[in-house]
Amino acid sequence: STFLFKTSPFPLLFFSNFHSKVSFFVEFLTICIKLRGYCRRIMPEYKLHYFGIRGLGEVPRQIFALAEVKFENVAVTREDWPEFKKKTPFGQMPVLEVDGKFIPQSFAIARFIASQHGLAGKTPFEAAWVDALADQWKDFQNDFKKFWYLKLGFGEGDVDAAKVEHGIPARDKFFPLVVKQLKKNGSGFLVGDAVTWVDVLVANAVADLEEKEAGFLAEYPEVVAHQKKVHAIPALKKWLETRPY
Amino acid sequence: STMPAYKLTYFNGRLRAEVARQLLYLAGVPFEDVRVRRPDWPALKSKMPFGEMPVLEVDGKPLPQSFAINRYLAKEFGFTGKSPFEAAWVDAIADQFKDYNIETRRLFLVLLGMIQGDKEQLLKDVGIPARDKFFGILEKIAKENGSNGHFVGQSLTWADLLIADHVKTVNILLPGFLDGFPTVLDTVKKIESTPKLKEWIEKSPYSKF
Repeated sequence: STFLFKTSPFPLLFFSNFHSKVSFFVEFLTICIKLRGYCRRIMPEYKLHYFGIRGLGEVPRQIFALAEVKFENVAVTREDWPEFKKKTPFGQMPVLEVDGKFIPQSFAIARFIASQHGLAGKTPFEAAWVDALADQWKDFQNDFKKFWYLKLGFGEGDVDAAKVEHGIPARDKFFPLVVKQLKKNGSGFLVGDAVTWVDVLVANAVADLEEKEAGFLAEYPEVVAHQKKVHAIPALKKWLETRPY
Repeated sequence: STMPAYKLTYFNGRLRAEVARQLLYLAGVPFEDVRVRRPDWPALKSKMPFGEMPVLEVDGKPLPQSFAINRYLAKEFGFTGKSPFEAAWVDAIADQFKDYNIETRRLFLVLLGMIQGDKEQLLKDVGIPARDKFFGILEKIAKENGSNGHFVGQSLTWADLLIADHVKTVNILLPGFLDGFPTVLDTVKKIESTPKLKEWIEKSPYSKF
């Protein structure tokens, strides 16, 4: 209120001649510009903390990019992690820092940003179907990673045996559901008639699979087509071309 | 406008459907509470969107996946906290609980007699570390939230219901297992004393899990 009192031009409007009226409008414009700056400063400040890799940080980053919302991408080094870990709520990353307060868990972060920027479906029921597909992907990933992590060189075990025992069954349980949903929905996106954060989630996973195990989704052309469609969205395409990792 | 018709389909147990049942009951909303007997399940499986239960039907339209169902009902009836930030924290606690569940799955299947396994080995290798990590987090969260009987904010959320229902199971299968987390246990007691919830718990069929 001090701010408004000190800068109020309204007395000028009443005690006026033409010159004063012009002064009023100049003052009024100055207030509008100051107010815009103030609003910019009270928009939330987002910092996404993760390692300097794609991993679990990539989908939140892509949602920011798609929503065209500014965020600071903080890459935590392996050396700095043990200290920073103590500050995080769950001892894990990614964490989203919103005006100094943390939100952990990648899906909670994704949904928090997506639902505030029109990327979580147009109705509550659509939002619920976005959640359901995302959780079904998570179930897939929990089985699939028993093969995938070995393939990427983490842990001990027979990669080929893991592919047969875990990789292929997990794939053949999950991706038919994706195809069924794409056909049923009919828009080219998974839920409703516009892109949602689960399109981003699935397309990211598909691109990663195709990059590291070419032809793995040969029996699911609709899924590959979906990935290409999602990654052709201009804001996301730009991110993919300029992302740091 | 008229209330939609709700139908929830699951096995005759608490596990992945109890929170949804509680949300509907707390909201005072009538719903069809379908409990499928194990022998009848194979015939129904292909009718479910993802071949699994629970499934919520809203005016006949199906919705699978327990957390999607919980969050949908919680949003409809006001159990997701008071802001997007609080709602995100409810989601985060639920997902951390899911991670803990995945880690301890084999242990609980052995405790329920559903698979063979070495209970003591699983407790030592998996159960205790997972418990200490997850319930350590919850203990801290409950204290930082003011030990007010909620894990997030000042009012009942579906994260409260989720944790309380799991603690009930742990108290049945592993008595004393959570004695090192007194604020969590006190929070659960407060949650369970919510009048309508107390009513539901008392009239529900008993289930070990």
